[in-house]
Amino acid sequence: MSMTRRSFFRYCSLSAAVLGLDACKLSLLQKALANPNAPSVIWLIGSACTGCSVSFLNRISDKVGEPATVAEVVTEAINLVFHPTIMGSAGETSVASLKQVYSRGNYVLVLEGAVPTAFGGHPCVVFSYNGEEVTHQQAVQELTARAMQTVCVGTCACFGGIPAAGSNPTKAMSIRQLTGRSTINISGCPANPDWVVWAVVQLLLGNPVTLDEDGRPVALYSTGHGGAPEEPVIHNKCPRNPGNHGVPLAQNFGENGHCLENLGCRGPFTKSRCEASWNGIGGHLVHEPHPGHWCIGINAPCHGCVEKTFPGPQSFYQPYSPE
Amino acid sequence: MPVITAAIDPITRIEGHLKIEVKVDTVNGVQQVVDAFAIGTLFRGFEKILENRDPRDATIITSRICGVCPTSHGMAAALALDNAFGVNGDTPERTAARLLRNLVHGACYLESAILHFYLLSLPDYIQGVPMAPWLPGWDVGRRFDRDTINRFTSHFVEAITHRRNAHEMGAIYGGKLPHTPGYIMGGFTAISSQDDKDRFSAYLESLITFIEAKYIPDAELLANLYSEYLSLGKGHGHLLAFGVFEADNRQAPELLLRRGRRLAGTSTVQPVDTSKIAEQVRYSWYADSDGNRPPLQADTNAQYPKGAAYSWLKAPRYDGVVYEVGPLARMTVNGDYANGVSVMDRHLARARETLKIALAMRGWLNDLTAGQSAYTDRPMPVSATSDGLTEAPRGALGHWLQVEDSKIAKYQVITPTCWNVSPKDDTGQRGPLEQALLGVPVVNVDKAIEVLRVVHSFDPCLDCATHVTRAEPGARVFARGELPRKP
Repeated sequence: MSMTRRSFFRYCSLSAAVLGLDACKLSLLQKALANPNAPSVIWLIGSACTGCSVSFLNRISDKVGEPATVAEVVTEAINLVFHPTIMGSAGETSVASLKQVYSRGNYVLVLEGAVPTAFGGHPCVVFSYNGEEVTHQQAVQELTARAMQTVCVGTCACFGGIPAAGSNPTKAMSIRQLTGRSTINISGCPANPDWVVWAVVQLLLGNPVTLDEDGRPVALYSTGHGGAPEEPVIHNKCPRNPGNHGVPLAQNFGENGHCLENLGCRGPFTKSRCEASWNGIGGHLVHEPHPGHWCIGINAPCHGCVEKTFPGPQSFYQPYSPE
Repeated sequence: MPVITAAIDPITRIEGHLKIEVKVDTVNGVQQVVDAFAIGTLFRGFEKILENRDPRDATIITSRICGVCPTSHGMAAALALDNAFGVNGDTPERTAARLLRNLVHGACYLESAILHFYLLSLPDYIQGVPMAPWLPGWDVGRRFDRDTINRFTSHFVEAITHRRNAHEMGAIYGGKLPHTPGYIMGGFTAISSQDDKDRFSAYLESLITFIEAKYIPDAELLANLYSEYLSLGKGHGHLLAFGVFEADNRQAPELLLRRGRRLAGTSTVQPVDTSKIAEQVRYSWYADSDGNRPPLQADTNAQYPKGAAYSWLKAPRYDGVVYEVGPLARMTVNGDYANGVSVMDRHLARARETLKIALAMRGWLNDLTAGQSAYTDRPMPVSATSDGLTEAPRGALGHWLQVEDSKIAKYQVITPTCWNVSPKDDTGQRGPLEQALLGVPVVNVDKAIEVLRVVHSFDPCLDCATHVTRAEPGARVFARGELPRKP
């Protein structure tokens, strides 16, 4: 099946200038994507809650040329051969699709969830192949080895996240910790769908992605919706920052618009483009269609879910400082 | 003819990791399932992760048990915390908290039902969009004419939008879905403005129209076209509901969908006494000494090999009886559904319940006072024991909390999928899904679409179900579905 559809060409053409692609390279890309052997996408879920996949389904964008919804992403922009939550087949048929792409070796691997390593990896079995059960640990080792690039979706895959918290009963770890291989980390609990789509499309376009020290694309975590550099620290762009005129520190929840630093907010230690980014069109404010939301907007503290320190042993409701 | 054993691994279009093994034989000339084993293949150990934390963290951590029902866990944890901290009284703050919790929880119910029917279940009956990841699919038969195919396909695409809109609606008060930070001990963080209410209402009315005009008629059409599934997948037929959606601020409030249980073949709804719930472990990989205790006294020590054990899930039973949970149980117990127990009854009850909840949300939104704080402060208890009972979209959900030294000393969760996808219990009774698979005709053993239809009718969520297990260091683990060999 050709993965290239009209709107994807549209996306490529329109974003070419922004991305610095010259016409020659774009033409090569179009030829590459028209090729039935163009990169496919495998999405595998390990020790996770499926929340990042659910978040992916929440994709909505009005940027010209971009796939607007998850339906457009899946039907027009990428060739998603394996995704356990939405795919049609089950059992051996589904695994055969994955194995076929694996044998060709030219695929983008999207990994959701941490990797449990206790008990030989058996706390998470992802499928059976030839009658043998395959652990997530085995699958990740094999699939990352032949992937064109691996995208870690969500804090569990990026840094271990909640499965690796506390006493870490299943010895869960991140993909990098397990494999030692480079990954593009789209952290967040869950990961924001726009960030995930952006990363996968960059890879399909063959664009280099600059990463920060935690493997996260600089362009996503430190750049505004318009593409210009933006203050990355949540606290510094929070409308409830006490630096804003007249904003007091909240003594308790239920106080509208007060700073929650004393109630556990991790905003001063969290770098992320969250503002107006969730469950709506990224950057759209109230009174625009499908306005974006964020935790700060509902008088809630930032829990720092995009950071490798999440969740950490500290209370979410006492003044926070990273250990 | 020998009995054929067939395994489906992975079961796709569910949440989490599940393997189903069935034994198939020809009985009275019909090839059918004669035995079934439901095997969960993921565990994360959430209770261990919660131990020694600030009790208030429970809403945030347990939300991450499941990305499809995060607000159900947030709700159960918040109820348990309210009980433990002594949050009570009929105040405007508690009213606002109840309404906001219900509205965001309700948004997730609508999201989950639409996701389940169109994206997770419908591909068992109709060939999806002719491309990956829906192709190559299994043969689902050719029972639909072209018009019906077009109708379902266009509604499938619309459902993607409406599912997303349900989350956008919930995020008006939840900030971020899945995994809102809104549910807190003592209430909810958001304070509604009139503008928030108006935007919530616009989403809600559009969803109500979709549910009335598309979802319910589609579920009814599917049940007509596949009417044999009104008598397949029956299972034991005993139904249990903890109840959900508080209608007032009392300690034992009226519920939109009430608490109760109904034994098969009876019409009487009986009360629920949670002290009669115990998890059995004879066929689970845990020490037999862990079994048959109430939730907060239960312990979980993995043991391999162990006799005929075959699952990471324990088998929760009520007074020793196997109960099915879910929308069909809720609607039947509430007196809103009286057709029966089967694959299609589960779909029909879920669709009608979705409308009932959406209409109730209209009322809660109307009752919500703009500008009203939704938080009641209470000091941290040194020690406390409490529970929080509610319902996730897929069935009864209970959290049990024990606080000591103002920390979580013990936390226990029994999820709906623990009930529905449980293995056999100490007396050899199969779990509800296992029992429902018996007698289901299977045409192609290698691609048993009929088995998938039964599994999906329960809307299983293994992310939820398998978190309860807790492995001990050094325990040996055998491949799922494989009977442990003698050492």
